[in-house]
Amino acid sequence: MDIPYTVTARPDTGLYNAKVGIWLFLASEVMLFGGLFSSYIFLRVGADYHWPVHELDVRLGFVNTLVLIFSSVTVLLAWANLKLRNIGKFKLYMLLTVLCAMTFMVIKSFEYRAKFSHYAVKLTDGTFLTGHLPHGYEIKFGEATQLSFTVQSETAAIDADPDGYVLPFIQGDTPKFKTESGNEIILDKSTFKDLRSASLEAAKAAGKNSGSFKLVAASPLTFQAKPSQILGYTATTMTFRDGTVAQGKLLDDKMTLEVDGVDTRSVPDAEKSIAWGTQYLGDGWKKAFITNRDHAKKEFEEKYPTRDPQKSATHQKEAFYLKIKSSTPPSGEEHGDGHKAEAKAEGHGDDHSAHGHHPEVVLDKKDIAFYSNYTPKLNTYYAIYFTLTGLHGLHVVAGALVLTYFLLFDGKMLRNDPERLANRVEVGGLFWHFVDLVWIFLFPLLYLL
Amino acid sequence: MSAAATSHDHSHGADHAHDHHDEPGFLGKYVFSCDHKVIGIQYALSGLLFLLLGFFLMLLMRWSIAFPGQPVPGLQFVESLPGLGWLFHETLGRWAPGGVVNGELYNMLGAMHGTIMVFLGIVPLGFAGFVNFVMPLQIGTIDMAFPKLNMWSFWLFFVSGVLMLYSFFVGTGPVQTGWTMYSPLASTTTLAVSNVWAHGHTWWLTAMVFNISASLLGSVNVITTVINLRAKGMTWMRMPFFCWAMFVTSFLLLLAFPPLEVAALLQLVDRVFGASFFLPTGLMEGGQHLDISGGGSPLLYQHLFWFLAHPEVYVLILPAFAILAEVIPANTRRPLWGYKSMVYASLTLGFLSFLVWAHHMYLTGMGTMMSTYFQITTVLISVPSVILLTGLMISLWGGSIRFTPQMLFASAFLPMFGIGGLTGLPLAFTFIDLALHDTYYVIGHFHYVVAPGTIFALFAGVYHWYPKITGRIMSDFLGKLHFWPSLLGMNLIFAPMFIQGMGGFHRRWYDGGKYFEQTSSASNWVTELTSGVFGIFGMDVPNNLLGLNVLMSVGAFILALGQVPFILNVFLSIKGGKKVQSDNPWNCTTLEWATPTPPPHGNFTFEPVVTRGPYEYSVPGCSQDYLPQWESEPGKAATAPASTPAPVAHH
Amino acid sequence: MADSTEEIHKAIKRIKLIGWVLAVFTVITVGLSYVELPTHTMNIVVGMIVAAFKAALVALIFMHLNHESPLIYKILAFTTAFALALFVLFVFSASDPLVFDSFYESNK
Ligand code: HEM
Ligand SMILES: [Cu+2]
Repeated sequence: MDIPYTVTARPDTGLYNAKVGIWLFLASEVMLFGGLFSSYIFLRVGADYHWPVHELDVRLGFVNTLVLIFSSVTVLLAWANLKLRNIGKFKLYMLLTVLCAMTFMVIKSFEYRAKFSHYAVKLTDGTFLTGHLPHGYEIKFGEATQLSFTVQSETAAIDADPDGYVLPFIQGDTPKFKTESGNEIILDKSTFKDLRSASLEAAKAAGKNSGSFKLVAASPLTFQAKPSQILGYTATTMTFRDGTVAQGKLLDDKMTLEVDGVDTRSVPDAEKSIAWGTQYLGDGWKKAFITNRDHAKKEFEEKYPTRDPQKSATHQKEAFYLKIKSSTPPSGEEHGDGHKAEAKAEGHGDDHSAHGHHPEVVLDKKDIAFYSNYTPKLNTYYAIYFTLTGLHGLHVVAGALVLTYFLLFDGKMLRNDPERLANRVEVGGLFWHFVDLVWIFLFPLLYLL
Repeated sequence: MSAAATSHDHSHGADHAHDHHDEPGFLGKYVFSCDHKVIGIQYALSGLLFLLLGFFLMLLMRWSIAFPGQPVPGLQFVESLPGLGWLFHETLGRWAPGGVVNGELYNMLGAMHGTIMVFLGIVPLGFAGFVNFVMPLQIGTIDMAFPKLNMWSFWLFFVSGVLMLYSFFVGTGPVQTGWTMYSPLASTTTLAVSNVWAHGHTWWLTAMVFNISASLLGSVNVITTVINLRAKGMTWMRMPFFCWAMFVTSFLLLLAFPPLEVAALLQLVDRVFGASFFLPTGLMEGGQHLDISGGGSPLLYQHLFWFLAHPEVYVLILPAFAILAEVIPANTRRPLWGYKSMVYASLTLGFLSFLVWAHHMYLTGMGTMMSTYFQITTVLISVPSVILLTGLMISLWGGSIRFTPQMLFASAFLPMFGIGGLTGLPLAFTFIDLALHDTYYVIGHFHYVVAPGTIFALFAGVYHWYPKITGRIMSDFLGKLHFWPSLLGMNLIFAPMFIQGMGGFHRRWYDGGKYFEQTSSASNWVTELTSGVFGIFGMDVPNNLLGLNVLMSVGAFILALGQVPFILNVFLSIKGGKKVQSDNPWNCTTLEWATPTPPPHGNFTFEPVVTRGPYEYSVPGCSQDYLPQWESEPGKAATAPASTPAPVAHH
Repeated sequence: MADSTEEIHKAIKRIKLIGWVLAVFTVITVGLSYVELPTHTMNIVVGMIVAAFKAALVALIFMHLNHESPLIYKILAFTTAFALALFVLFVFSASDPLVFDSFYESNK
């Protein structure tokens, strides 16, 4: 008893089952990526910031495109050779295809890695500073002696939980605490549980829905946490995300940034950007910016006298997005200096060796509106970039796994029923081409345009 | 390709490695089975269980609406039970101190009720369950085209159910933001929870991703099977309408679900990686700017969601038509009226259903052109709906109707769906929708189509095919005991919703409008009657729109009682039902009744050859009142080689 | 699709040729993206036309859609129609062609 038409085609439809299946699956994939691409359009049309153009590493994207095209050819050659029963060549081409998939993913992961360590800081006036955080960015809060906990009866979504929300940020040795009743304890899951239930019992007796208690540290504590890991802070308190409050003193909330770019496209008057303030980049860089901008303007006017420079996205980028390649501003008034520097080191500081060549600024918290590394959080462009390429990457991995399976584990079928294996390879190949086809659109949309 | 010129050439299969799967163990036979019938039953049973769960959630909501702030009777008792009490406490009880449903819990119940009913209840039972069990039998094949994928489909669905249920246990409890899960609200609730896996939203989204993948696999399988595995002589236009409707449904699932998958994925990225796909610039909460980049669009979410969710409502209703197109002819002994127009109507319906979605979004500030476009397509799509309903209705004409339980449910479906469909029409116009959007009127509209509509049809299907599965017929008495309270309960719940909705009652009030008591004082004869009747029983129900809340909740309670006979019937009839006298107890014409009872692995004991259309009932001049598709003359199986080769697909 | 040995040899040649064509057009896409056309939108349109051409080659030759069963054409035709709806209607509902800029601009 066998399902009919697994190998041969049904006469009236002219198709074998897997062929129908894969095309249906691809149809749904079209809708999946269709939804993603239409989200891309929707987000881009509605974007209220300057949509990045040529911001990713075009060379890597280009190489990856060629790799995928090559693999599309090899998977077809594998299929053709299997049809011809050239088993050796079939295996060779299959292997090449899988190797291409691996290459693609390796290159992709390098691209991702570089993005993760690169940051953009939005200042309150709309200026973006890009660069690296040599020491990370953490809030330091010290001389803290007292912790106040608020515990809820069970109906609250978030409850005091020092284990997950407070303890991880304490610097130094495991601290000792004194409870209100004078016992000395080490704060962990079990001791906290006791305190919690005692407090809730007291609350219940008093007819309240939530209880609270305080702990006093045996010696002053220092906390260090990323701003996203806590709820907020003032000069004298730090509030954790579970609502626990520490009393003490704010030690440091300044951000040290190695600046490799200043993007003033969203600032009404770029020359007045906070970034040029004396405590930050200062007049030297401002001059460099103005030189670069005027040079770009002149060039644009010479090349395209009839066009409106306001409307040229590339011109706006060249004129108002200053790339910084050295630790001090270029001296003198040479024209086009900024330009030359840019040409020297494409890829604006994605490589770590460039660290020494950037000015360091220490940003006040009050000037920072938002900051993020180059992850989906940064803006909707990077959000859709990571989602699209991530999902595409998943498809590459899935396709490679399937092809590897055909190569390694279908030996029996290769011997007994090569025609059926050829069908499988054909169907796997169709999927593989689809993955290539998606990339053909992804590459220009994300890297080039 | 040349080898395939002679169809049904099975000889090449002899040496296939997987030929030895005939003797699976217990696990392979009942749990990880690849047999379409087992998978169908698995789907159907899980669907039924989820429907029951969704129903319980709804009962709690209805209590809160009718008697806000009062403890739910019995909750404290359930909490005190060993084991079950713990389970209940961890899931719902912890949110209901003193047994009172508060706003938070109400929102969780609402969101999970909708999600469970739509994605884990009706679709798995109505589509996956029935299509898996019935369709391969009806087209005369031995199994689905990809049995292994079929198994995967079920287990992916199972995982999605488990994940969805698990969200009841996590820190924040399950989602509170409606089955529609609109951003930004859904993405920003309890944002402070730094462990995203302690958040019900994350689990909901993950569960949806699994659910969607499961239905993709299922629909690929169904379509391929229908296209490629039809028996000899089973041409497209000889296919029972059941298969046609399911075929169209599969296309809706296949092509409409991916955008929802996109929506879920993007929302997941928002939640887990802090992106702003659906979060606009400058979004604030509690007077503070959120730590997000902004630049996204809530509207984008609604588009992606409704691009699925409108076709989804046809995924809910088409299986109902599919089932009724079998049940009604079998019980009226008349051919299905207008088979061809019904087929074309369902194809048109399927096509149009992709082009109307933004009628759920009239209030988002669309421009004139787009809202005109969506109004026109929405009105257009009611035409094929009406054709389908009319076809079924006229099929009753002149029949000698047997009022079996399945026929009772089928005949109740017709007016109930009619009410649901007709109340949808006014909503299609922006100027009316302006007033009615997000009110109980909308709730009434779609529940009339889905509850006494689709769910009744599903009951009909269960009664109809139960004998094929078990070899026994479900009790007629219990069936009627099931039907009448259900019909009464459904109407008591949903009819007053239209009145309340037009009175301006919002669909998500956990106190049923008590807060707006001052403005809910409208009364009419219905409220008067309600107040009067409850007065007889000594209950003080106000003579205004709020009084209807009590009426509806009583209706829900009646409906709940009405399901007891059904549950008993399903279990008791396995052993105690009347044994079927033949493999074709209802004297039907379609191929599933040609198989032994229950159908063995591989289904048919002979190779079915189809010689006629699916609904040859009461053919003049024939010795019996039905002519099965597989018989060349009454009592004689056709063996002739396939008459005409099947023409190419018509969709 | 090709089944005889001869046809397969022909197919292999074709596949290699198309592979080269695709590579060349990739270079062209990259090059074009650095050309400053009057508006950036035009860059996008041109880029998409080239991409669509490449995609068509992959679909027609590599996925041999140039001669496939009518059934598959039908499935894909519907899919394409719905995908287009996805693109066009989304965007139109955000900026309605009839009321175009005026309404939304004044809200900004
Ligand atoms: C017969 C023609 C139908 C028309 C013209 C129609 C029209 C509409 C409209 C305009 C709305 C949006 C109301 C609003 O939110 O303001 C709506 C909501 C809804 N309809 Fe229908 N409908 C029809 C049939 C159906 C069918 C057959 C089903 C289901 C099987 C259905 C299920 C729903 C659901 C679930 C909603 C509400 C979704 C929500 O907001 O949660 N409708 N209908
Ligand atoms: Cu709709």
